Amino acid sequence: MKIFQALAKIDRKIIFAILAVVIIVPLIKPLGIISRASNRAEAVFNAVDAIPPGKSLMISIDFDPGSQAELYPMLNAILRHAFAKDVKVILLGLWLTGMGLGEEALSITSQEYNKVYGEDYVFLGWRSGVLPVILGMGEDIKRTFPTDYYGQSLNDLPMMNDIRNYRDIPFFITLSAGDPGMNTWIAYAQSRYGLKMGAGTTAVSAADAYPFLQTGQLTGLLGGMKGASEYEFLVREKGYSQALTPASQAMDSQSLAHLLILILIVLGNIGFFFIRKTTAFKGEK
Amino acid sequence: MTLASSIWIWVGVFLTFCIFSFLYKDNPFYKFAEHLFVGVSVGYSISISYHNVLHPDLIVPLFKHGELLNIIPLIFGLCYFARFIPKVSWLVRLPMGLVLGFGAGAAIPAVLQANIIRQVQGAVLTPEIFQGWNFFVWALISLIGVICTVIYFYFSKERKKSTKFAAEIGIIFLMIGFGASFGYTVMARISLLIGRFQFLLRDWLGIIQ
Repeated sequence: MKIFQALAKIDRKIIFAILAVVIIVPLIKPLGIISRASNRAEAVFNAVDAIPPGKSLMISIDFDPGSQAELYPMLNAILRHAFAKDVKVILLGLWLTGMGLGEEALSITSQEYNKVYGEDYVFLGWRSGVLPVILGMGEDIKRTFPTDYYGQSLNDLPMMNDIRNYRDIPFFITLSAGDPGMNTWIAYAQSRYGLKMGAGTTAVSAADAYPFLQTGQLTGLLGGMKGASEYEFLVREKGYSQALTPASQAMDSQSLAHLLILILIVLGNIGFFFIRKTTAFKGEK
Repeated sequence: MTLASSIWIWVGVFLTFCIFSFLYKDNPFYKFAEHLFVGVSVGYSISISYHNVLHPDLIVPLFKHGELLNIIPLIFGLCYFARFIPKVSWLVRLPMGLVLGFGAGAAIPAVLQANIIRQVQGAVLTPEIFQGWNFFVWALISLIGVICTVIYFYFSKERKKSTKFAAEIGIIFLMIGFGASFGYTVMARISLLIGRFQFLLRDWLGIIQ
């Protein structure tokens, strides 16, 4: 019984140390666990793939650096996919503290594909008030965002000449870490204006997104870092990019960490049941 | 292995270790990093708000182009600060009432449509359920789950026999839902940890690509 008592009392610092080893080792020495794309990720990929060259994909950065590990690789992979297909990109965000990440992602990926600001992509940035922004763009994007992130009038950007509102956006993706994010876009843009949309969410929010998939309110879903790795896999497999794939690189560590946690949960429960059984037995005596 | 030369990477590494130090116990390094994060976030927010909203939407139109109608939102905005002056603190109700009224008016129909009506339709009427027997079985399970879970949350009448049985089935569905959420939460937290280790191993130490 001593072993079960010891199991139930493992110092959390030992668990942290084991977890660190389990994560670091596969990052340095990859195991090569094969990761395939789910049909949910494929649906997002196919929707972006189906946008005709010259038309626009709109992406909303609804996250901040706190969720960078999960959602930033998605943003990069989607941008590379769009640029490789000559799809124009409109980037904006509902989370003010995510703007720096959006600017950085656009700067890196646009250079890889020699894309020109104002002709191939536009960064609208952030505006205060969530509902007026989403509802306003359903009527007129230029009225909601008279200027872009850099203070330049949208009328001066050639790409925006043919874009008035959501009707001119074939597909929209929200990269959402909470509220405002996926739920807000579904309620106000998808339901009201029929905007065709997909979502990339943090793993915490992914479970909440499934009902919207089933009803068709979401075309597809990228859930957490796994979703990002699936999109990276598709972009690489189709030959759109050979850039580094940080989410895919992390999948070995992710799988082993999950395995460790499963083992700890099982061991912890076995220890708990045996200790309870022993204590109850002694109590009866 | 090539150590980073950028000072900002080293700052990031120092702050990462400050936060990690909490795993041992609460300490001044952790508190420093935590307070710095809050301060930087607020400062960044104020700066972006000024340059992206206040300046282009209020200061330029009002003071440079002379569009006097912008005085109305300016006054409403200033009313928020009335809270600091007890004698006129009631003025804060004006902008708050406007925001709440607009928010409720816009939210009620939209949320009802997206989260209730479409979900009820999805639970029973999705055309895809007739594509194959597996779609139909899952749709049926989903429908049973919805009904049983709703019965579990019906507290106005004592549960007996069939309703008690349905409520117990509802608990099973709830537990499956909580389990899925917990699993995803574990995945999320591990992802964030991996992200930090990638930063340390790639950007700082240069061990991985």
